[in-house]
Amino acid sequence: MKRLLMTTATLAAAGLLVAGCSDPGAGGGTADTGDITWPEATASLEGVELTLWAAQASNTIPEGVVAAFEDATGAKVEIVTIPDPYENGIQTKVATGDKPDLAFWQPTASMLTALNAANNLQVLDDAPWIEDMDPDLQDLTGILNDTRYAALVTSPSVQGVYYNKKVFADAGITELPTSFEDMVAKGRVIQETTGVTPFFEQGNNGWSTQWWPQVLLADAAADGFYDDLNANKASFADDVVVEAITTFKDLIDEGLFNSDIVTATFEDQGDALLSGEAAMAVQINALFGQFQAKADTATLNETIGYFPISPSGNVATSHPDQSNALVAFKTGDAAREAAARQFLTFWMTEYYPTFVEEQNTVSLMTGVESPASVPQALLDVHASLSDSVGSMQAQAVANPDLFMNVVDVINNVKTPQQAAEATQQQFVELAKASGIDGF
Amino acid sequence: MATMQDARVEAPRARRRRRQDLPPSGGKPRGTHPLWFLIPAFTVLGIFFFVPTIYNFVYAFTNWSSFKSEISFVGFDNFQGLLANGTLLSSLKITLIYAILVAVFQNVFGLLLALLLEKDTRLNRAARVMFFIPVIMSALAVGYIFQALLKTDGPLNQVIGFFAGGDVSIAWLGSTTWTIVVVAVIHAWKWMGLSMLIYLSGLKTINEDVLEAARLDGAGVWTTFWKIRFPLLAPALTFNVATALLGSMNGFDIVQATTGGGPARTTEILNIFIFRTFGQGLFAQATTMSLVLFVVVAALAFPVIGMLRRRENVL
Repeated sequence: MKRLLMTTATLAAAGLLVAGCSDPGAGGGTADTGDITWPEATASLEGVELTLWAAQASNTIPEGVVAAFEDATGAKVEIVTIPDPYENGIQTKVATGDKPDLAFWQPTASMLTALNAANNLQVLDDAPWIEDMDPDLQDLTGILNDTRYAALVTSPSVQGVYYNKKVFADAGITELPTSFEDMVAKGRVIQETTGVTPFFEQGNNGWSTQWWPQVLLADAAADGFYDDLNANKASFADDVVVEAITTFKDLIDEGLFNSDIVTATFEDQGDALLSGEAAMAVQINALFGQFQAKADTATLNETIGYFPISPSGNVATSHPDQSNALVAFKTGDAAREAAARQFLTFWMTEYYPTFVEEQNTVSLMTGVESPASVPQALLDVHASLSDSVGSMQAQAVANPDLFMNVVDVINNVKTPQQAAEATQQQFVELAKASGIDGF
Repeated sequence: MATMQDARVEAPRARRRRRQDLPPSGGKPRGTHPLWFLIPAFTVLGIFFFVPTIYNFVYAFTNWSSFKSEISFVGFDNFQGLLANGTLLSSLKITLIYAILVAVFQNVFGLLLALLLEKDTRLNRAARVMFFIPVIMSALAVGYIFQALLKTDGPLNQVIGFFAGGDVSIAWLGSTTWTIVVVAVIHAWKWMGLSMLIYLSGLKTINEDVLEAARLDGAGVWTTFWKIRFPLLAPALTFNVATALLGSMNGFDIVQATTGGGPARTTEILNIFIFRTFGQGLFAQATTMSLVLFVVVAALAFPVIGMLRRRENVL
């Protein structure tokens, strides 16, 4: 009898739980479009407190604008650094109902999906600064299902090749590589004539190892590989991806990379390229941030150059990352939501000239000139955006951990085929969880 | 010998005494406190232990994710998906290897320390405190300290280089084969103070007369240890092996701080895999994995503890 009672009680409790089964991250938002207003940039916000989440790589970017916004409006904005891995941390927090007012976020469709944008994020469709942006950039990113959820604040990252100009000159190379094959050939020349390591890659946490297969996929991407992938008509296990990973692995085995590729860090990569210990690195803008932390513009203009690369030419792969954009959350508090929108307006209008000046970065706005002190390589990076193709993160509907699988290949734990299959498996899993048609 | 007999006589007497404490009817023990005093404790236990555990079971059968708000039941889909995907099994394998390594190292270190510091001298007392300090340190701090020590150009390699006379660049945390052993040693290092303490208390309870008898019978130190002291340590061994094995199966912090699961996921124990999956927004899958971990730990705990308890029957 006692046991029967216990069982009944347990079942009843479980039943209640199931009935109450709901997403703690859901709800709490305000009404959607329609009644969204965009307050004046400097309207008074006395007594309003906002929270802005940033990553270790982006937490200094908003310092200036936050101070100026606080002075101009009387609001308080607290910048909270969320430890790496940043995206994972945020998704977990948001899932448990913990939301900031604003956060740096990778503005690609897959990552907006990962945040359940329709439910958690404010719609930025009528943001007043959009029409003043460079037309090439207005709709480049930040959009999911025809709705704008992210505000681009800096020039989106691009996957391309950073090189040491002095090493190129020492090896007698005067023309920049015109294709991937040409780049590898020039790498071999550098190794033979100067003994300098042609390519530097960091396998410590290895997030940048995926750029190699990705730039090798640039032609396929231009031919609609990712569209087919999203429709479940192509796969990461297809030959084109396996070959890209294999090419990368073959170059490592040939000895064209640093010998400590398995343990080298991102910092090591920056140091090696600046000092001329290595000639080239396939990276995104974050590497240039690393250079800027260690050398001034004059030195950088002298030593570091940039060129985009793709199998058949010089097409860059655009890859907006979390330091390029912000999202505003639906917190359920109308005053704070409006204040968050006002903060973005203030940043992109009133403060923008000061912002590009203090960050020494390329301007996205037509009315604001880029500072003269912006290093040439950064201008080249920005220029390569206009005819770029989107990266995996930018185009695929879900964002699998390609880099982890590539790191497995570098460590000889997986073959390129196995790495490609594992990536596809995870892609399908994520696409299925996102409820994408065809999965 | 007289005292030993006394001890044997003493035991039944104590049992009798305990029996006398019970009410004469043999029914319910006389309540000194009303049962409802237990309500606060059980409320806390319920909210913080039972409800999450039950939720863990429930969510494993849903498609809860960060991508959408609705949660619906999907039956055994998550289990099928995870079994089809080799990562879960390889993570389970790594977890088991890690747990066994930690259990072995932690007990060997702990026992050696206990034997070394057995005598109650002032120096030994100070040393015991020293070896216990890592136990109360933050596991993340321990992990990060070791990560810094074991860097390729870090202090450990420099010290080795100093004595070996030359540059040493061993990638302690970069080997796909040996790093798991290194991390297990770090885990064992952190917790060996606790094992030492348990073994010490075990050693203290061994009756001096038994050891004296062994000495009189001509048993050497080695024989005394293996034939008498070690078997009598059985309860301490049970506790230490069980806590080390099961504790490290649920390990996360030390591995996360030292390697984060790398290189190439060769130290990715199940909890790190769960953390990563949860971080990707695949909450239901992560829950399913933690359910699997729960089942595996339970499936391992009962036989292991049962086996170790049987060893105690010699006492």
